[in-house]
Amino acid sequence: MTMTAVFAPVGRATLHVLATLGGAATVFGRVMRSLFPPRFDKSETWRQLFHVGVRSWPIVAMTALFVGAIMVIQTAYFVRRTGATSFLGYGVGYSVFAEIGPVLIGLMFSGRVGANNTAELGTMVVTEQVDALRALAIDPVRYLIVPRFIAMMVMLTLLMVLGDLFAIVGAAATAQGLLGFDWRVLIANLVESHLLDELLMGVVKATSFGIAISCISCYFGLGASGGAVGVGRATNHSVVANATAIFLLDFLVGWLFTL
Amino acid sequence: MSVRIAVQHLTKTHEGRVVLSDVSLEVRSGEILGLVGPGGHGKSVLLKHLPRLLVPDRGHILLDGRDLATLSGFDLARAREGFGYLFQNYALFDFMTVADNVAFPLRQERSAASADRGGEQRGVASREQQIDLRVRERLAEVGLERAYHQFPRELSGGMKKRVGLARATVTNPSIALYDDPTAGLDPVTSSRIFALILAMHRKVPGCASVVVSHDIDRMAAIVDRWIVLEHGTIAFSGLRADLLRALASAPPDGLLRRFFGDPAALPSHVTSGATA
Repeated sequence: MTMTAVFAPVGRATLHVLATLGGAATVFGRVMRSLFPPRFDKSETWRQLFHVGVRSWPIVAMTALFVGAIMVIQTAYFVRRTGATSFLGYGVGYSVFAEIGPVLIGLMFSGRVGANNTAELGTMVVTEQVDALRALAIDPVRYLIVPRFIAMMVMLTLLMVLGDLFAIVGAAATAQGLLGFDWRVLIANLVESHLLDELLMGVVKATSFGIAISCISCYFGLGASGGAVGVGRATNHSVVANATAIFLLDFLVGWLFTL
Repeated sequence: MSVRIAVQHLTKTHEGRVVLSDVSLEVRSGEILGLVGPGGHGKSVLLKHLPRLLVPDRGHILLDGRDLATLSGFDLARAREGFGYLFQNYALFDFMTVADNVAFPLRQERSAASADRGGEQRGVASREQQIDLRVRERLAEVGLERAYHQFPRELSGGMKKRVGLARATVTNPSIALYDDPTAGLDPVTSSRIFALILAMHRKVPGCASVVVSHDIDRMAAIVDRWIVLEHGTIAFSGLRADLLRALASAPPDGLLRRFFGDPAALPSHVTSGATA
C-alpha cells in the first residue's frame, strides 16, 4: 500500500471538515451582517418561529420524558446501593439539566428541524427558487437564512427549558410508579440541590446547538446541487455534521463552565 | 432601438467544461430576442448571466451602459428590480399560495410605486389592497383567477408556467427573460403562453424581452431577432430577413437547417414577419 493510498482519504476528510467549518462560519458571518443593523424579513421570521416550535415540541417533550425516566432509573441503582436517597434528586437534575438532556434534545432537534431545513433549502436551490429570489432583488440570506437562524436559536433554547420540565415530570413519575420513591422527596431534593449553574449550562448549550444547527443545515442546503440525489446527499451530510457539532460544543461549553 | 443589455466576450466554465466561450450580444429596447440552440449548449446559462444570477469567468454584462460587476450589492438589487424572469422549472415558492407568489415581487419592492401603478386610479386606500387588486388583474390576464387560493403543488405544468409568467411580469419589468416557457406543455397551452408573452411585451413600452425555447414555430410568431447558440458560441445572429438568407445558403445538414428546416417549408409568419 502506497503512502498516497493511506494519506489521501485522511487529507480528503480533513479538507471536507475544514470546508464545512468554513462554510458554516461564512453563513454565521453573513447572518451577523444582516442582524446588525437588523435587515431581514420579519414575517418570515415569525413563520419560522411558529413552524420550528410547533414542529419540534412534541418530539422534545417525549425525548425529555424518557431522559428523565432513564436517569432516575440509573441514579436509583447507585442510591439504593449506597443508601444516599437524598442524592436522587441531585443525580437526576445534574445529568438531565447539564448533560444528557441538552445532548439528546439537541440531537432530536437536529434530526427533526436541521435535516428538514437542509432538505427544504436544497430543494429550493435545485428548483431555482433561490435564483428566483435573487432575480426579484431579494437577498436569500436576509429572507431565508436569518429567519431560520433566529427561529432555531430561540426555539431550541425555549424547548430546552420545556424539555427540563418534562424531564422532571418523567423522573418523578418513574420514581413514584416504578421505583417506589416518593416523587415529592425527589422534587424537594432537586430544589435543595441548587442546580442553577447546571440549568444555565444546559440553556447555553441549547443556544449554541441552535446556532450550530442553523448555520450547518443552511450551509449544506444552499450548497445542494444535482437534483433529488444532491438534496439527499446534502441532508445526509448535514445530519452527520450537526451531530458532530453537538458533541463538540457539549464538550467546549462543559469545559468553559469548569473554568 | 437603444441597447439595454450588452454582453461582451462572456466566457463561463463549469467543472472544467467550457459552457460559454467569448459570447457577445446585445438586447435592445422594444425587441423580442429569440435565443435558440441544442439542449445543453449554454442558453439558460447565458440567460442567467443577464441579471448576474451567475458571475462570468471572463467578460462583461452592461445594463444601460453600466457594468453589473462594478455595482454594489444594493445597486445590483435595484438593477434587478427592472427584470422579470420566468424560470425553466417555474421556481414558484411552494410554501406560498398562487396569489402570494404573484404578489411577492410587489410586496418586496422597495417603494410602493410599482404597486400603485395599477391601483391609484381606483382610489384604493391601503397598499395591500392595491397589491391584491393588481394580483387579481394579472391572474385574470393569464386565465388563473380561480387558482388564487391554490398552492403550486395543486396546479398542472401549464398552470404553473402561467403563474410564473404572472409573477415575472406583475411589476411590468422593462426587461423580461423567459427560459423555455413552453417546455413540456401541449401545443394549445404553448400557443397561449407565447401569446401572453407577446401581450406582456406590448404592455410595457420599450420592454426588452429574451425568449429561450425549442418551440421554433410558435416562437417565430413573436420574435424580432434570432440568436443561435451552439457549443457555447454564437452560430448565428440576425433579423428574420438575415435568417432567411442564411438558411438559403446553409448546408442541409448544418445547425440552422436542422433547427429551422427548409426555408421553403417555413410557416408564413416566419417568412413574412407577421406577428401573432
